[in-house]
Amino acid sequence: MVPPEYYLLLSAAVFCIGLFGILTRRNALLILMSVELMMNAANINLVAFSYVWGNVTGQTFGLFVMALAAAEVAIGIGIVLVLYRNFDGVDVTEATTMRW
Amino acid sequence: MAGILDFAPAIVLLPFVSFLVALAVGDRLPKGGALAGIAATAGSLLLAAATFLTVSGGQTYNATIYTWAEGLNAVDLSFGLLIDPLSAMMLLIVTLIAFLVHVFSLGYMNDEGETGLPRYYAGLGLFTASMLGFVVANNLLMAFMFFELVGLCSYLLIGFHFREPGPPSAAKKAFLVTRFGDYFFLVGVVAVFATFGTAAFAGDGSFPVLAEAALNGEAGSVTTFGFAPQTWFTIVGLLILGGVIGKSAQFPLHTWLPDAMEGPTPVSALIHAATMVAAGVYLVARMYGFYALSPNALAIIAFVGGFTALFAATMGVVKREIKQVLAYSTISQYGYMMLGLGGGGYVAATFHLMTHAFFKALLFLGAGSVIIAMHHNENMWDMGGLKDKMPVTYYTFLSGSLALAGIVPFAGFWSKDEVLYETLIHGLGGNPILLGAYAMGLLAVFFTGFYTFRMVFLTFHGNPRSQTARDPHGVGWNVKAPLVVLGVLAATAGLVNMVPVEKLLGIKGIDFLHQWLDGGYASLTAHHYGELIPYSSSYIGSEATTVALGAGISLGLALAGAGLAYLLYDVPEPIRHTDRLGRIKTLLYNNYYQDEYQVWLANGVTRPVARAANKFDGGIVDGVVNGVSSVSLFSGSRIRRIQTGVVSNYAALLTLGLTALLVAFGLLGGWFV
Repeated sequence: MVPPEYYLLLSAAVFCIGLFGILTRRNALLILMSVELMMNAANINLVAFSYVWGNVTGQTFGLFVMALAAAEVAIGIGIVLVLYRNFDGVDVTEATTMRW
Repeated sequence: MAGILDFAPAIVLLPFVSFLVALAVGDRLPKGGALAGIAATAGSLLLAAATFLTVSGGQTYNATIYTWAEGLNAVDLSFGLLIDPLSAMMLLIVTLIAFLVHVFSLGYMNDEGETGLPRYYAGLGLFTASMLGFVVANNLLMAFMFFELVGLCSYLLIGFHFREPGPPSAAKKAFLVTRFGDYFFLVGVVAVFATFGTAAFAGDGSFPVLAEAALNGEAGSVTTFGFAPQTWFTIVGLLILGGVIGKSAQFPLHTWLPDAMEGPTPVSALIHAATMVAAGVYLVARMYGFYALSPNALAIIAFVGGFTALFAATMGVVKREIKQVLAYSTISQYGYMMLGLGGGGYVAATFHLMTHAFFKALLFLGAGSVIIAMHHNENMWDMGGLKDKMPVTYYTFLSGSLALAGIVPFAGFWSKDEVLYETLIHGLGGNPILLGAYAMGLLAVFFTGFYTFRMVFLTFHGNPRSQTARDPHGVGWNVKAPLVVLGVLAATAGLVNMVPVEKLLGIKGIDFLHQWLDGGYASLTAHHYGELIPYSSSYIGSEATTVALGAGISLGLALAGAGLAYLLYDVPEPIRHTDRLGRIKTLLYNNYYQDEYQVWLANGVTRPVARAANKFDGGIVDGVVNGVSSVSLFSGSRIRRIQTGVVSNYAALLTLGLTALLVAFGLLGGWFV
């Protein structure tokens, strides 16, 4: 059996990659993908703990998070589409009109 | 039972309807709404007469019509009607005068081609309605509200000719000066509510009855705020008296009244005889059961009244304009009424209120007739010799003048004499203040006789002193008819209460007014007031001697004044004898510089205080408010810089925040130990 530390390390690594992507990328699509990474890092954790404790509740939650992620992507893509229409591009630093 | 008294609200509502009619469609009606006003006041007059007859049959009426604010453990505020002998009598007087003034206005306003008649008749209607509402009010708050309405209407009517400079200014002055008094009245009304929890005039739970019970030591729901009941009732009484002094033009708030002569003459008649000025005295009479409990308040009323009577009479001596003389005579006569009330002569003062209403309305309408004839020149030195040209006006005016001067047997003699007599006997009973007030009132009789007949002789006797006086404008029936009605009343109204005759000749039962005012609610009868007043009576010799002496002295003084005027002014070409008074004339002509001193009070005292208050408000109160807002604005303008609109920055802030939170938890939770 693989010890849970490895899962946690994998999850932390994926999470940090996602966070790095959100903080550094300017392309909205890439940011969306980074968010997916972070969400899946959390999923890994859920499944790992579920496996360690022998309780399937965590896996159920994993499934829910996937469904949630699908919904989130649908909205995210919609936002990206509108962004493209209004600002002729998907660079998030261009869209700065929503401020004082 | 649906008796005639159930229709009493209509007495008030009819003139109000005529106000609405004149306001809405007056410009499309013939005579500019005058006919609606005449019909309404005639209806009110008939109803008031019916009410009077019903009340003389012993019926009274006291009911709440509409409660407009009520609550648990709180006072109820309501409108209601109180019809008792006093208010029934006053209703009759007010509706009669208002009716005659409406008829007279046909001659004075319509026939003279005035513009704005709907506005005029609307004002008259509302004025009459407010005064009638005030008369029938069954509680102090309702009385206050109609008191204010009366003031508003006087403002509207005095300023009727608003395009000229004088009337608007006079209207504002009338409004502000009476408002100054009404301010105290309002505080007094609140004090009555706070003290007694009710402001009803009549009934077992009325405030005069509660006050009487409290003074007798009975525990009740009376809160006197830590004062002795006697002291507190005096304070409350004096607060309400503030409104009375303003409205009834008593010293020192009399200054608005002479200026109010800027209004049309019929309005002056209405203001002076039946509404507005009468309201103040009527209020004291209405709540006399309360004032009678306080010797100090009564003494102040008497002294102010006596002083005002003399003070105003001296000013009336030197005036050039006929309406100015009448204005000062009004102030002086209301001084007598206050003297009567303060001196314990409730019936006497009410009597004088009644006779004065007749003869002063008569004199003003007579003056209005003269003014029509003189093409609106009011200067008596341009008149003269009008006696033969306008006999109806002359003889009726003479009747009013004899009544005003107090010459037997005209109305004014009986009432003024009774006022002075009551003051005298109560003063002799050990009250030097009343004796002082009596002396002033007695002296004023002489001046009254003098200025009244100076006015009559200058206006009607001698040779005409101007072209218009040689060929005066004629007056119509609508001017003469009211004059004749009032002329007869001024000559005969005194016969309803011939107390001196009763006392001297021993004929019982001719003091009808005494009997009249003894009817109605037990707590509101003249008899009850007689038991309440804190005076004892004393006589010079016997009662009959005192009566004869008092009447003789006052009649003698009146005749002396009239005789002096006869000697000086009943000549073909009178000269200005008052010039001989020199500087005193200047002082009198300028009304003792009362206006100047009040303007100085406003400019020299009130204005700096107001300016300081304004500075405090602008500097400190506003400064704090502005400080709070500028701190918010400044910090907002700094903090908004983190709102860049760039999503990446927000994400970074979120991450940093989360990290900081984790570190903080870690440090506090001891994870790193």
